[in-house]
Amino acid sequence: MTAVTAHTGRPGKKARLAPPTQGRGEAWLLLGPAALYLIAFSIYPLIMSLIRSFQDYNQTKDTWRWIGLRNYQDLFTSAEFWTVVKNTLILMTAGVAIQVVLGTALALFFNQNLRGSAIVRGILILPMLLTPIVVGLMWRALLNPQWGLLNWLAVKMGLGYVGWLSDAHVALWTLVLVDSWQWTPFVFVVVYARLQALPQEVFEAGSVDGATWFQRLRYLTLPLLMPAIVFAAIFRGIDAFRTFDLVFGLTNGGPVQATSTLSFEGFQNGFEFQRYGYASAVSYVMVFAAAIGITLLLRVVRVRRMDVAP
Amino acid sequence: MNGRIVGRVISYIVLVLIGLAGIAPFLYLLVLSFKSRLDVLTVPPDRHFDWSTIQENYRTVIHDDHYVTFVVNSLVVTGVATLIALGLGVPAAYAFSRLRFRGADTWASTILSFRFMPPIAVAIPIYLMIRSLGLVDSRIGLILPYVAFSLPLVIWIMIGFFDEIPREIDESAMVDGLTRPLVLLRVLLPLARPGMLVAATFGVIFVWNEFLVGLYIVNSADKETIPIAASSLLTVESPIDWNIAATVGVLTVIPILIFSMVVQRYIVRGITAGAVR
Repeated sequence: MTAVTAHTGRPGKKARLAPPTQGRGEAWLLLGPAALYLIAFSIYPLIMSLIRSFQDYNQTKDTWRWIGLRNYQDLFTSAEFWTVVKNTLILMTAGVAIQVVLGTALALFFNQNLRGSAIVRGILILPMLLTPIVVGLMWRALLNPQWGLLNWLAVKMGLGYVGWLSDAHVALWTLVLVDSWQWTPFVFVVVYARLQALPQEVFEAGSVDGATWFQRLRYLTLPLLMPAIVFAAIFRGIDAFRTFDLVFGLTNGGPVQATSTLSFEGFQNGFEFQRYGYASAVSYVMVFAAAIGITLLLRVVRVRRMDVAP
Repeated sequence: MNGRIVGRVISYIVLVLIGLAGIAPFLYLLVLSFKSRLDVLTVPPDRHFDWSTIQENYRTVIHDDHYVTFVVNSLVVTGVATLIALGLGVPAAYAFSRLRFRGADTWASTILSFRFMPPIAVAIPIYLMIRSLGLVDSRIGLILPYVAFSLPLVIWIMIGFFDEIPREIDESAMVDGLTRPLVLLRVLLPLARPGMLVAATFGVIFVWNEFLVGLYIVNSADKETIPIAASSLLTVESPIDWNIAATVGVLTVIPILIFSMVVQRYIVRGITAGAVR
């Protein structure tokens, strides 16, 4: 709600901003098509999902029947649902924590501006752009139990055979690993951009004062980077919460339910088992949770916009 | 002084290791795509390569598996969807950046939040909608929802870019007698071109990779995009000819690789738009 006040101008400047010929017609002309499109293909489906979550779909007759809160009741009393919630939360918190630490470390490392680092930065962009299904494919090859390169390495280094995707205790952490491979670069790009934008004099002053490298990091660099880190963490958190592709490409939710996420649970129930009503209830639990995350993010974005406003 | 040199050397070793960690999975895929079905099983892969095997793998995928059809479908769907999203999103972003009207804040934040909604929350109704419109198994059936998915992204990115263009430019153009839509069309669009490239880049990336919704909208091979085809070819359960799967993977990565080299700076700008501004 508030995030965009900065976009639309601040109240105090109203008189100056209000252009002479502005009419309601112009706003409609510019905004109308996009608004209508989103009403048809985003808002309407979102409302339909809500309605469907109170209904039951009969596949043979292609009819819907009101069942009140039954879907939600089934959901909250099913052990499977809570397993999936737990998986999603682990994937989200562990993944984001790893990515924030590694991404920030990478940003500090690249800030030395080593020769040739531009090439490596280019390489690091790639995983983010990759078709999710191919990410799954690559890692299924690397993690293959018979001939995968990672198990060969694990055995060589004396770690022994690891059931990366087949061991129910390991598989979720394998997902965290692959997710971090793909998305640590995102945190890196965000934090690095902020780091490069900071005035170098601040750091020079710090070293003149005789502060050690660690002190400068702790009291100078990290606090200055914090807005970018928080932004990246929330952004990644919301995305990780919706994780679907990785599960689809890597494990299909298995073994048993060990790696299924909320999105995947909704997908399976909806598209594979045709339990549209139940799947809609799952997705609406997600919508509510995501709304909290989005509110948080919008607050961060707004704060930043206000900070730099002249 | 010596410590300094050692530090440098260590830094470079770390740099190389980071690069390797990023690129190793790609290289592994490439190597697998050069092997025969049996040679894949050798760990670690040996350095024996056979030109005829390589040809055989790539010919199988490109020729027998309709790869070219998928590329064409992907190009058409991505291109059209991105253009429509820009056509709808740029004027909307301009309105949010410049005009004050009732409900502006509510609208803008609603649109922004769609960017972060779980796609599964709309996937089922959208699929049912497309089905009742009779558009299942058509390119339009894919394009319609894809525009809706990339539109919030386009609007969000463009608002930021329009905010950076001084309002005085619009105002002086309007003093010259142009209306708002004409100001946008004649004066601001050329100025906002970098922003539109950033927005288009992100729209393209999103649409090019989408398959959650597309998987069920399209079910005949001649309408499938690359990720939809790849995902039906490579599902976790079905047994896989790994050399062929790897070849599919490589051929999927190549267009993205080329694209990323061309637009790298727009990608970085887009990602950091929210963070540094």
